[in-house]
Amino acid sequence: MSFREKSAWVALITYAVVFGGYFLTLSQAWDESYAQGLSIGLLIGAVVALIIVAVVLNVVLALFHPKTANAPADERETAIDLKAERIASYTLSVGVVCLIGALLMGWNAYLVANLLLASLVIAELVKAVAQIVSFRVGA
Amino acid sequence: MAIENEIRRLRFNAGEMTQQALAERVGVTRQTIIAIEQNKYAPSLEAAFRIADAFGVALEEVFRWKKS
Repeated sequence: MSFREKSAWVALITYAVVFGGYFLTLSQAWDESYAQGLSIGLLIGAVVALIIVAVVLNVVLALFHPKTANAPADERETAIDLKAERIASYTLSVGVVCLIGALLMGWNAYLVANLLLASLVIAELVKAVAQIVSFRVGA
Repeated sequence: MAIENEIRRLRFNAGEMTQQALAERVGVTRQTIIAIEQNKYAPSLEAAFRIADAFGVALEEVFRWKKS
């Protein structure tokens, strides 16, 4: 398994664990008046946790791959990154367009804001999965 | 894939050159060499020329296009 494939696994696990925890906590305590204050504190905590976990895991990964950690991506890795970015951008676009519709139909703004965040997280998860699958099957 | 290659045979003929050694000569990762060798990834023209150059042979001795 290449350094970049492992890096994609790190991104997948980090986003799934940190934002899985965020959305699970928020959904269990969801109350429109309460959620406004809760989501801001939780979101700051989730972002801080995401940064710390991602930095620690990538440092550990780089220690095991000292030669390849700083090497630029080769042509296949670049092609895989671009393909994964394209799939992720489609995913995000679908989420954003649907949620614009939800806002126009009068959905609660904090719910829509959190669903936008969920779209962003899902797009990152889709990107990591697309990278891993591409690394496994070819390009 | 429509492009096939002789990289495995050429590595054998080159004293069982490792995939890692070929990767370093070409400037790609070992995983990319594996993907090319298994016909899972068609390299760019530049990488194809670099692979041929690593074996000291012409491009058409490494890659061939299989008409489908």
